[in-house]
Amino acid sequence: MLSTITSGTIYGIKSCLIQVEVDVSQGLPCFQIVGLPGSEVREARERVKVALRNVGVSLPSVCINVNLSPADIPKSGTMFDLPVAVGIMTALSKLPQEATRDTLLLGELGLSGEVKSVRGVLPIVREAALGGIRRCILPMDNAWEGGLVTGVESIGVSDLKETIQRLTGTNNKTSVIICRDSAPAGTVAGPGRTPEDGKPSGQTAAEKERPDRTPEDFADICGQESAKRAAEVAAAGFHNLLLVGAPGSGKTMLARRIPGILPPLSAEESLEVSSIYSISGLLQSAECLKTQRPFLNPHHTITGKALVGGGRIPMPGVISLAHRGVLFLDELPEFKKETLDILRQPLEDRQVQIARSTGTYVYPADFMLVGAMNPCPCGYYPDMNRCRCTPYEIRRYLRRVSGPILDRMDICVEVQPVLFADIVAERSVESSAVIRERVMRARQIQADRFAGTGICFNADMNAADVERFCSLGAAERKFMAKIYAAMQLSARGCHRVLKVARTIADLAGTERIGEEHLAEAVCYRNMEVFK
Amino acid sequence: MTDGKTYGKTYGSFAKGAGRGKDKDKDKAYLHWLYSNLGMGSHRLFSLLRSLAPPAQLYALARQRKLVPYFEQRYRGQKMPYLDKYRSKIHCLEQKAGEGDAAGEYEKMLARGIHFTVTGDTDYPEKLAQIPDAPGALYYVGRLPDADKKTIAVIGARNCTEYGKAVAKEFAAALAQADIQVISGMARGIDGIAQQAAIRAGGYSLAVFGCGVDICYPPENRSLYEELIASGGVCSEYPPGIEPRSVLFPPRNRIISGLCDGVLVIEAKERSGTLITVDMALEQGREVYAVPGRITDPLSRGCNELIRQGAGLAASPQELTGMAVGERRKNASESDDMRGRILKLLDYQPQPVEEIKQKYDAAYGTPESPSVSISLLYYELVGLCADGEAAQIGGSYVKKG
Repeated sequence: MLSTITSGTIYGIKSCLIQVEVDVSQGLPCFQIVGLPGSEVREARERVKVALRNVGVSLPSVCINVNLSPADIPKSGTMFDLPVAVGIMTALSKLPQEATRDTLLLGELGLSGEVKSVRGVLPIVREAALGGIRRCILPMDNAWEGGLVTGVESIGVSDLKETIQRLTGTNNKTSVIICRDSAPAGTVAGPGRTPEDGKPSGQTAAEKERPDRTPEDFADICGQESAKRAAEVAAAGFHNLLLVGAPGSGKTMLARRIPGILPPLSAEESLEVSSIYSISGLLQSAECLKTQRPFLNPHHTITGKALVGGGRIPMPGVISLAHRGVLFLDELPEFKKETLDILRQPLEDRQVQIARSTGTYVYPADFMLVGAMNPCPCGYYPDMNRCRCTPYEIRRYLRRVSGPILDRMDICVEVQPVLFADIVAERSVESSAVIRERVMRARQIQADRFAGTGICFNADMNAADVERFCSLGAAERKFMAKIYAAMQLSARGCHRVLKVARTIADLAGTERIGEEHLAEAVCYRNMEVFK
Repeated sequence: MTDGKTYGKTYGSFAKGAGRGKDKDKDKAYLHWLYSNLGMGSHRLFSLLRSLAPPAQLYALARQRKLVPYFEQRYRGQKMPYLDKYRSKIHCLEQKAGEGDAAGEYEKMLARGIHFTVTGDTDYPEKLAQIPDAPGALYYVGRLPDADKKTIAVIGARNCTEYGKAVAKEFAAALAQADIQVISGMARGIDGIAQQAAIRAGGYSLAVFGCGVDICYPPENRSLYEELIASGGVCSEYPPGIEPRSVLFPPRNRIISGLCDGVLVIEAKERSGTLITVDMALEQGREVYAVPGRITDPLSRGCNELIRQGAGLAASPQELTGMAVGERRKNASESDDMRGRILKLLDYQPQPVEEIKQKYDAAYGTPESPSVSISLLYYELVGLCADGEAAQIGGSYVKKG
């Protein structure tokens, strides 16, 4: 007899629904799985056989064929254990066919029959909701992920027996979950909202109390006005930022606070980011949906594969985990040159393509790159009375960061060690929330300006766009010409100055780019001065 | 930029119709052959051989492999501590004599515009000939300094401060205007900046190299190198094609001090190559001047120490030129607008924006507006940079000399 169970898999960043077709027929006893199963999928046979026996279902001597359809998509992961087990029981008529109608099943089986957590639940449930599925049976540990998707009933189960009871309707304990809002199917409960009912029971009170807080706030930073201002401009225009400063001057402290001044994630962005984390198995139940912009801080020994994603079926790399957030590369010159150069294409395309024998995978990688480095090996350049480096050493150090990467750094700023006067000053320091307000206003101006052009931020403008959106008045043009000559700007450097000046003008809320905006933008290209 | 291994390209030709007198050059050709094949550090042997026989005869003897016996016969019975060393060097010379065409190679070198002069020639600098270990020969491009004019070597640290740069420029330009010739090593920092300023002010400047004159080292001074060839000179005791090596540089310092009447030290650390030149200058009886600096600056310690030891204190170029050369540049804007105030706060020491802001707030902040906005500060600083009054180094700003 034949049965069909709906399940799903992830394929790169995409997820798709898979029909698990199980046929049980007379013949030589066998159990095989077809449809491009990965080795962990193929091993489902052993787990399913033993798990079924341990919950009291013994398999007769029959020929079992399982097909995972569509059969041309490579499948990996352990989420097919549960659907295969349920499929066999249905095919053996131990469960009615109707019991699994419009139901999605996901889960890994232990030998005792327990259902264990799997990766990628959120994107799969979302896909299911769009595909008209109304009920999802998920591992207890992942059920809350499904609960984030509206229009779907997500049921968490802890073992195979409970699954059967759920399907036959003999257990209606309300252990879990439902998000049956009036919102259209497939959308996600807003990020500001914590789906209380969507969490597995047994959560600690402390975790529940976790509000939308900014544990790292700009108010913690005394002084360093110029660096803070540069971070604000960078956040407003989504410009990449390079922080130059001596060790201990607070580069890392500043970088960590940048996500806090970026606008909060929209519902759509939040789901996108959470999906990536779900696929990577990094979505923690305590934080629910990702509501904070990610901040990734890889060590400089990181490999290229770890940075952009790798593996036979590639997993998202650090740059994809930093999607919609900040990728912070501390000690930029210490990164291997080849590793940094891999970033060139993702910085341009805002996504990364990884080709494997099983196909080409595309992961989103729209992040803000923040780099930090010393001005020279000893850290004191350009104060020649303290700097112990030879000019040759300084240049060799600076040259370790390839030109194309530096070219993509719209804003460079020097972070000075905090002055004592600033530590003791009783001046009120702006909090991240105040800065974020200004950033959001500037972002809104950009959104209105670029509506329909496919550009989102000032940083995305190409040469033609700069010409169109950054036109200068006569006086400003004259001022720019003077700077261009006096400061020996390059054409590319000039474009960068205009883009940043556009953002500064947006922050000031003026349509016209003024001399003061240009002047400030010019000060942010000091890396060229070093070179 | 250098990558540590290759040093600039070898120059093909400097020739601008380089003059050549065929017969007169015949002897010079063999001397060049002799000098370039003896290797470095053979000035004594070079002069011994020169007094042995005319160059052409030496060459002929070497080709016939009879130079060693001839040399031994001539100096038999005389006390000669390095006789074994000399013998092996002459032996090498004999082996090299078979290869190549001495006269042809010399022709080629002349055609490239590289001149060759030996002690006793009219163009060999007189002052240099008087120092104890004068080089037996010099290669040069352009022209050598005029013996009738006063000559001063301007030397200093390679990684100098903005203060050093400003002072080097001011002194070198003033010296050039007073028709004093400026000699230096074309190194990074003070050397190159001083020579650049002298040439730009229409004066004469000579660079003494620690490599062949056809190699521009350091490569970033390429434009200065070309300017020196066009309106000054470049010289070296090493034959063309010799790559720069660290051991070659200290000996060239004796040539720098040997060619001049006085040495001016702009910035030097306590122990540095600059002070080696000063020691040589003192041995050669040259005058030494030093520009004083702040006692807290390591780069001024060498200079201050020299002054303590009795070097002339050079507080203005006039003290060297003995004449007034224009007026010392005033602070361009004495006005009390914001730009003028910021200019007053700037120093030759690079200061980050934060520091300038702090100083500005302390000096000009009022209860109504206790602090200046950083954007406004940027605006004024960029204005100053555009006017050439200040310069941006990284995120710091300095006053420009």
